[in-house]
Amino acid sequence: MTLLDAPHGTPLRIVDLAGGESVRRRLMAMGFHKDDVVELDGKAIFRGPLLVRNCTSDTTIALGRGVAQKVLVEPVHEPS
Amino acid sequence: MNPPEVPAVIFVGQPNSGKSTLFNSIAGHKAETSNFPGTSIKHTHSRVNIGGRLLDVVDLPGTYSLCTSDPAEQVVLTHLFSERPDLIVNVIDASTLSRGLELTLELVELGYPMVVALNMMDVAERKGIQVDPAKIERLLGAPVVATIAAHGRGVKELLERAFDVLDKGQSLRSPRFSDDVEEKVAEVERLLPPGFPIVSNPRFTAIKLIETAGHACGDFLGEVEPGLRATVDGVRRAIEERRGAPAYEVISAERHHQAMKLAEETSRVLHGKRMTWDKKVDAVLMHPVLGYLILAAVFLAFFFIIFKVGNPLETLLIGPFNSLKAALAARLGSGLLFSLAEGLIQGVGGGVAIVLPYFLPLLFLMAVLEDLGYLARAGFLLDAFMHRIGLHGKSVSPFILGFGCNVPAIVSTRILESQRDRVLTSILIPFIPCSARTTIVLALVAFYLGPLWAMGFYAVNILIVAVVGWVISRFLKEPSPGLILEIPSLKAPRISSVLRKTWLQVYSFVRFAWPILIAGSLVLSLLNYFRADRWINDVLAPLIVKGLGLPHDLGVTLVFGFLRKELSLIMMLQALGVDYQNLMTVITREQIVVFTVFISFFIPCLSTFVILWKEIGKKWAFVSAGMSIAVALALSWVVRLVL
Repeated sequence: MTLLDAPHGTPLRIVDLAGGESVRRRLMAMGFHKDDVVELDGKAIFRGPLLVRNCTSDTTIALGRGVAQKVLVEPVHEPS
Repeated sequence: MNPPEVPAVIFVGQPNSGKSTLFNSIAGHKAETSNFPGTSIKHTHSRVNIGGRLLDVVDLPGTYSLCTSDPAEQVVLTHLFSERPDLIVNVIDASTLSRGLELTLELVELGYPMVVALNMMDVAERKGIQVDPAKIERLLGAPVVATIAAHGRGVKELLERAFDVLDKGQSLRSPRFSDDVEEKVAEVERLLPPGFPIVSNPRFTAIKLIETAGHACGDFLGEVEPGLRATVDGVRRAIEERRGAPAYEVISAERHHQAMKLAEETSRVLHGKRMTWDKKVDAVLMHPVLGYLILAAVFLAFFFIIFKVGNPLETLLIGPFNSLKAALAARLGSGLLFSLAEGLIQGVGGGVAIVLPYFLPLLFLMAVLEDLGYLARAGFLLDAFMHRIGLHGKSVSPFILGFGCNVPAIVSTRILESQRDRVLTSILIPFIPCSARTTIVLALVAFYLGPLWAMGFYAVNILIVAVVGWVISRFLKEPSPGLILEIPSLKAPRISSVLRKTWLQVYSFVRFAWPILIAGSLVLSLLNYFRADRWINDVLAPLIVKGLGLPHDLGVTLVFGFLRKELSLIMMLQALGVDYQNLMTVITREQIVVFTVFISFFIPCLSTFVILWKEIGKKWAFVSAGMSIAVALALSWVVRLVL
């Protein structure tokens, strides 16, 4: 699923970064790579951006919906 | 090797790593710091004397990596690659260690002498992260010093270690990539033709060739020869086939994992002590409903505070100037001497008593919002609205900066990735009421018609920005790449930093605007005395009297308004020959509104025009001026119809 459909507040693994080279490069430069574990922290109304937190580096970025759509994720089952 | 006379030391770090704060505490008080990604867009130089040794220190814009297409960040590459520095000070935010280390590893690959400032240790501690600088130092081979730049802690040790490196040199340990990637890097390294422009060392050059060719930062490596190009292309294909991802992604991921491993080995996260309060604050600040209410409240409070502080200050300060003028009138009669004295008093008094009372609190509050990190949050909240006018949330920060002064706001559009977004944002900024126009609005509309009128003025103004943006974006069809914006952690603004920033802007206002204000006022006095202003007024009469319904005498003020907007206000009083407090005896409320509207919009001021020309070209600068005139005329006409 894409980040847009992902549930809030649970750990998600990035499966793939789709989209153009410049967007991918930008995301990677900001520390968001394939296989990273992220969390969806919030969504703005009126089709506004998403707040995505990288759980490893604890950095948060705002992603527009167009960009979020290109980030494919799957839920992570936390080790109990 | 003899050490150079004055070593060049450059500061490199990711946005929000506290780089500028650290730079400031070393270089005195020159660079501006703030909590928004990419605010130090121009680099700042400073020559400092530390314990008898000279250093040339350079603060560069924050950059996330050494492969970038962002024009603000490219400044860093030019500096690193073409002006070989003697030492790099790499600043890392310890609270986001693993991401910061990615840039550090790139710098280690570059291999210039380096010291690492592990900054914001206090924030890391609050988050429950314990970092071991000594261990990072062992693994990288570069000195790592824990610092808290905001309190000046660790700075002395950092400098000592820096001099150490300058004197004795160092050997960095660049971690290797996986064997298959390393093999390919070596292949390119071997095939670099003699005389190829090597940046620092062959391995770094080879890595960058693989990572960036065809991409902006490849430019710094010169024209790649056809033979080498084939090798590089072959290597890239080989990596891509083996790993199933483009070569740039593979190398970036290798570094990402090196950084995560390094961070894991050198830091511990104590769970249960995570900084929850600021997460809670953020949840409210960016809440889908509360967030907007707070945003609206912040802006309302912003202008009410400025008005509440500025208004009494203005009344207080203007008194002495008026009595001085009255006293002079009694002694000097009405000759040339009195005219000049009157012009001088109007000019100085206007600058001190009318402009400064509003200007000062506005700059102060702006600095607070910036340092707090609120601009990025406003960008998040307003992204959806910005889409309506063909932009996205990253343009919010330049817009908000525009309320202070349009000129730095236009420069700050360099943080936007696409040319289209930069043009559109830059063209809209002159429609944002800067502090000079806020002064006019508050001094005329709010003072004579009440604060609610001023609020209404702002609401209409923002509406105009939206409409103009919507119209222009119809012509710039190219889609905007979408928002990717870091939300930095909230920081309590430090009073010293806020005051410094306010002071810097007030200083440049006093230095550049006051002479123009005073000279303009004197010139007007002379024109008045020799009755030359009539000519200008007569020429402009069709516009001023017929078009706008304003007093004939106000024609000259427009000419001065092009130089600086606040000048029009002072010139207005001068031209009408009344005191500020008696303004209403010669002009009606309606005329005040028309005048304010027209002056606010009719043309970007000279400095804004020049910076537009420089940043986005002559064509757009004239488009902007043309649109301003059209909007000013249309709006003044509407105001006359409505009132």
